Amino acid sequence: MGKFILRRILLLIPILLGLSVLIFLFIRLLPGDPAGAILGERATPENIARVRAALGLDLPLHEQYFDYLFGLFRGDLGRSFLTNRDVVDDFLQRFPATIELTLSAMVIALAFGIPLGLITAKRRGSWVDQFGTVISLVGISIPIFFLGLMLKYVFAIEFPILPDSGRIDFVEYSIPKVTRFMTVDTLLAGELGGFVDAVRHLILPGIALGTIPLAIIMRITRASVVDVLNEDYVRTANAKGLPGRVVDSRHVLRNAMLPVVTVIGLQTGLLLGGAILTETIFGWGGVGTWIYDAVRTSDYQVIQSGVLLLAFIFVLVNLLVDVSYAFLNPRIRYS
Amino acid sequence: MRTWRWISAFAVLVLVLAACGTQGGASASASATGGGAESTEASASEEASAAPSEGGSGEPVSGGTLAFAGARLAASLDPSQTSDGESFRILQQIYEPLVDLAPGTVDELVGVLAESWEGGPEDTEYVFTLREGVMFHDGTPFNAEAVKANFDRWQNFPEELQANAYYYGATMNGFGEGNLIESVEATDETTVTITLTEASPTFLFAITLPSFAIVSPAVLESTNADDPTESTLGTDVTAGGTGPFKLESYTPEEEATLARNDDYWGDVAYLDRVIIRPIADPSARLQALQGGSVQGFDLVKPSDYETIQGEEGLVLVERLSFNSLYLGLNPTAAETEGNPLAELAVREAVEYAIDKEALIEPFYGGRGSVADTFLPPSSGWHDSVLAGVEVREFDADRARELLEEAGFGPENPPEVSFWFPTEVTRPYMPDPAGLHQAVTQMLEDVGFVVVPNSDIWDSPGYLEDAQNGKYDMHFLGWTGDYDDPSNWYGVHFGFDAEGAAATQFGCETEGLNDAIVAAEAELDPTARGEAWGEVAGLIHGDVCFITLVHGDTALAFTEDVQGYGANPTGSETFSTVWLTNGGE
Repeated sequence: MGKFILRRILLLIPILLGLSVLIFLFIRLLPGDPAGAILGERATPENIARVRAALGLDLPLHEQYFDYLFGLFRGDLGRSFLTNRDVVDDFLQRFPATIELTLSAMVIALAFGIPLGLITAKRRGSWVDQFGTVISLVGISIPIFFLGLMLKYVFAIEFPILPDSGRIDFVEYSIPKVTRFMTVDTLLAGELGGFVDAVRHLILPGIALGTIPLAIIMRITRASVVDVLNEDYVRTANAKGLPGRVVDSRHVLRNAMLPVVTVIGLQTGLLLGGAILTETIFGWGGVGTWIYDAVRTSDYQVIQSGVLLLAFIFVLVNLLVDVSYAFLNPRIRYS
Repeated sequence: MRTWRWISAFAVLVLVLAACGTQGGASASASATGGGAESTEASASEEASAAPSEGGSGEPVSGGTLAFAGARLAASLDPSQTSDGESFRILQQIYEPLVDLAPGTVDELVGVLAESWEGGPEDTEYVFTLREGVMFHDGTPFNAEAVKANFDRWQNFPEELQANAYYYGATMNGFGEGNLIESVEATDETTVTITLTEASPTFLFAITLPSFAIVSPAVLESTNADDPTESTLGTDVTAGGTGPFKLESYTPEEEATLARNDDYWGDVAYLDRVIIRPIADPSARLQALQGGSVQGFDLVKPSDYETIQGEEGLVLVERLSFNSLYLGLNPTAAETEGNPLAELAVREAVEYAIDKEALIEPFYGGRGSVADTFLPPSSGWHDSVLAGVEVREFDADRARELLEEAGFGPENPPEVSFWFPTEVTRPYMPDPAGLHQAVTQMLEDVGFVVVPNSDIWDSPGYLEDAQNGKYDMHFLGWTGDYDDPSNWYGVHFGFDAEGAAATQFGCETEGLNDAIVAAEAELDPTARGEAWGEVAGLIHGDVCFITLVHGDTALAFTEDVQGYGANPTGSETFSTVWLTNGGE
């Protein structure tokens, strides 16, 4: 097991190196120029040359890359061109918000996805199953920005029962930022009302972000449960006269969950980096809005380091999934 | 069955949470912060009487918290390192310059940290008498040494800090020795003498920009402000300003909280606090206003004007234009063989063919004005410049006649390549593709054949190619930095070191260079206006540059917000704003 983990960790190094080259080059291939973005209409060739020189963008590409790479080895991911803030500091400040949103989306996805998957599997072909299939199709295909704006329109404006954006009502609550997880910080500050407000702020963006994983989890659960239901041991359990509930929880779900766990892991990794639209629509101060802004302003340093950090976290989550999978299923370790 | 129970339990939980504190979502103005602020002097109501929010009545009241949304927060908290409106919005509440624009104007100066000054456009020496008894938020006194420390700091910026110090570099002719600033002397505690290397009619206007705000020298030192990697002035909450609000907390991704400075030297602000939130998407900003999580926001999409005006409880506050959209024509661009724009008559036909007025309703939500000159009507120079310009009003028949005179007709129509930028909107250009389509239609109506082209705004593509004169015809525009024709016509037609600015438009107008040099050097205001009028007359007469529309912008507020004074330049303060319910 230890060897397996070690091998996977060593594999991270070439993956991240390759990623750093790819991201570095991709950004520079994309249209957009930081000096142009900073200066706008004022981008006379003279001004552009001055800003590019100050940002080090006038150096040859390979020199820029090696500067960046040496920085990475020293743990220095650079500073934003636009704000001169340390990229790692900015990332760490914003990441808790993104984790919080991701967890909220996953809670919603799991709370609805697994039960719906189980029900539709057990009632294959019934109207419940058909309905579930439609829901999952809609969930996968509805664009997040549309869903987000609609959710806000209905639940925040027409029937104002939930807040439209942000992480907490700053007018009402002034919460010291300790962990930067709003739900945790409100509790640490002893603000129960603030905690409820923070959770209320999580609901709409959580639903918007959670629909895709919900649909995927539901479909995987359904497929997996259908497989397990056909297994001999389930038939035996039923034949023994075990109550349905016990068969479901002890035999069906437990065995059907393995593929679902993998999907949950992968989806969590994806959500951590994929919340850009949801965060932008809901004015959510996470990593997504940060990268969105950086792309709009061609802030290379933030894009390349921010994306690299997200990629690092994604492969790390993947590694954890693989390890847990190997732990759950010994056959993996030897393949 | 068990699973259904889980689902219903979760749904109930969601509903319970939704129900909790519904009133908080519906009315964000129900502030928990205590009022108790002393009532301010009646004199402050003078600005407040320019209350843009209609329907409000009575005297201003103190107290309450205003939640406001911009597109983003400040790029930096170091005023000298910023040049964009979003940064200025926050910083000009906290920091103050020596002089500023009078509320609602772009051409009237008032003393802020300077009580008075001697010196004008024709002088090289300015003597500022500073306001006495002003304290920085950190408790240190504001004095002549503080002013000198800031001016010296800007002039001696290390290279890394020069990149984002756009306004200092642009208005003071660069950095270091040999720029516009000869010396800054603290003559005594309350007197500062600034000597320039040459007379500059724009110096006083330049230092009204928030980038020239004075920061406490103690804070400059404690934040290592001049060390590009160690400086925390741009990132941390400091008490370095003198303004009507202090920065209370700042999370760049979430909020900037400003608290009233009760020791302010002038009229103390009404609001207890102002919370500014970044919401990048304009539709999301509107939804935040409708949903009650903010009580005001800036940069309303023109297509939303109608929605806001039609919705009870919301008010649209107009900000007069300080910008201009223009069409650049370049007869020397080699895009089209035998470029028809080489003929003056064809270029004139382009201007006659365009119904500028018809662009305002669909693209600017009806808010804007026809641009007969580059300078908008809000500029103090508008009239004198306009006097020098021969205006061509929309006349499609005249356009057809001119084309015919130039030898073009249905068999051999003049063909032009016409460019617009993508992935950008600007106050003067809310919908580049739509505007392009509309103008194309107008040109085709009089007999042009238009080849549509586009490129991405800030890739080196569009901006660079347009400015290097690669396009036959292109859209671009300008938002003024300060009110002087040199910042408009001068920037576009004057020659900089590389001669670049002048290559954007292909006309080689006879006498233009001399006229610009003369106008730049003219220091007497009346003669200066006339001189720039002459420059404008030459430029518009040659028709390589057709100004189209000055686009107004707008903010939106809930009706309980009063006293916001919009300024064309965006030089706006929250200190005159009050809530009708005082935040109760």
